[in-house]
Amino acid sequence: MDNVTDGLEKAIKAIKIGVSSTEQEQLYLELEEFLAWLDPLLEVDTAETGQLLFGHDAVNVLKGDYPRQSDLAELQEAAPNFAGGFYLVPKVME
Amino acid sequence: MELRKTTVHQTVEAVLEGEITAHQLIEKTIKNCSVLNEGLNIFTSIAGVDALEQAKAVDRKIKNGEKPPLAGIPVAVKDDLCYGVLPTGLGSAAFNEFMSPVTAAVVERLMDAGAVVIGKTNLDDMGQGSTTLSSPTGSTVNPWQAGRTAGSAGAAAVATGICMLAVESDSGGALRQGASHCGVVGLRPTTGRISRYGLNAHCSSFARVGVTAFSSENISGILDLVSGFDQRDAATAVCREGISEIIKTPGSEDMTIGYPVTAFDHLEPDLREIFEQVRDQLSSRGYRIKEIDLGLLREGLQAYYVLALTEASSNHARFDGIRFGKGRETDSLEEMYRQSRSEILGKEARRRSIFGTFLLSKGNYDRYYRQALKIWKLVRQHFEAAFNECDLLMLPVAKNLPRPLKGESSYLDQWSDDLFCAPVSLSGMPSLCAPAGQIDQLPIGMQLVGPPFSEKTLLAVGSTSGPRDMGESPLSQ
Repeated sequence: MDNVTDGLEKAIKAIKIGVSSTEQEQLYLELEEFLAWLDPLLEVDTAETGQLLFGHDAVNVLKGDYPRQSDLAELQEAAPNFAGGFYLVPKVME
Repeated sequence: MELRKTTVHQTVEAVLEGEITAHQLIEKTIKNCSVLNEGLNIFTSIAGVDALEQAKAVDRKIKNGEKPPLAGIPVAVKDDLCYGVLPTGLGSAAFNEFMSPVTAAVVERLMDAGAVVIGKTNLDDMGQGSTTLSSPTGSTVNPWQAGRTAGSAGAAAVATGICMLAVESDSGGALRQGASHCGVVGLRPTTGRISRYGLNAHCSSFARVGVTAFSSENISGILDLVSGFDQRDAATAVCREGISEIIKTPGSEDMTIGYPVTAFDHLEPDLREIFEQVRDQLSSRGYRIKEIDLGLLREGLQAYYVLALTEASSNHARFDGIRFGKGRETDSLEEMYRQSRSEILGKEARRRSIFGTFLLSKGNYDRYYRQALKIWKLVRQHFEAAFNECDLLMLPVAKNLPRPLKGESSYLDQWSDDLFCAPVSLSGMPSLCAPAGQIDQLPIGMQLVGPPFSEKTLLAVGSTSGPRDMGESPLSQ
């Protein structure tokens, strides 16, 4: 099995969709064509750019932090069951 | 009142002065919209009663002495932007009844200013494409030639005079391609200028919310209303302390427009000739034209697709039938995911999800994804270097005339149509598409690209470049 066939099968499995054998054959041809199309990208000399996580140098800008008081009564009303300061949920462990 | 022949400013004046009520204007717009939509397939849903109610509310505000800055202006909203009143279909048959609990920030701002949402506009499968050919509800017809795609339906809504404004997303170039193919003006803003809250983005790094209108003046009039800091989109934090705008006035200040000669070599001679004419017109109007070198366009396009596909594969993960989308009832969780996702994701979304996952897999991650990140950085550097030599850049929008509605075109051919738009998306710079000319009656647009927050300069130059008015599109009647 070549790398493209193997990689394609794994990708289809990973994203959890149903693909017919005809569609998979078509996707294989398209993927091979796409990878060949990307060849010029691999030829660009990027030695000077160094390692990076993003394609830009922007630093994360934090949003303003505006604390708000939660309305506990409103939250309790939305919960199916509330008692003694706790939200009661179905037992999940035996 | 013919919307195509008036400006936003003139229309608002007419409504505020009582020459026409917002209700009358919107009633007429909806009638026009229903008739034209049958042949052109622009809208996925039309607001009808809700739009009339909005218009009545605007009229009440005016009666109470308020002066909404966009009183009664009819607006089209692309169907990947949430609007709580109409279904948000996202370009997927599985979402045709999805009512979003939120409304996109840009739509909220327009409505707060008195604009009225007429309907949601058509788009490709999950918004991925610049043709509407993969739309589950069929393609939008170009109002200039029935057998061609419109690029984006919002541009068609404006070109036909149904709406005065359209708000649309643009990742690899859908908004700009649409504006070019329909002979209208489209602005993709600088990263962070307009909030993306409420946008269903398939590639988060490059998706922007932009505006399409009949003229640059119309966009100038509303840009400040839709721009600015929004707590719900961290990218807009750059606007929190106010924007450092780059504003230059054509005519009163020397301006240099960069002309990347090799970019135009990708075009057929008849297309290239149009841009050479525009270049010469700009020169005769006093702009200094400087030939520059702008490399990595083709590699920028390829890098865009590597990054867009990998981000799409991640973004589409939420459409699992539980968090988003209708879930199928099956015997196992795994089968429920498989069946639900197979229904939700159309052919293009499946292709992009699979290819994106492949590109992120072991071995391919370093080979393709990391290399694409580096190209992204290099493309930005190329654009930044270009703006050391010139104030603005002139580029084509589309490599070809709009694609025919019938007949097969390969997915790779369609992706290659973004040759001039995708690298600009990587650069993060604002881009204005304005009419440049026509071939066989079909409009051709050009891009004016500027440094960050130079939108007002782009709009000012855009209003003085190319043909002022392409006339009425044949299918607008």
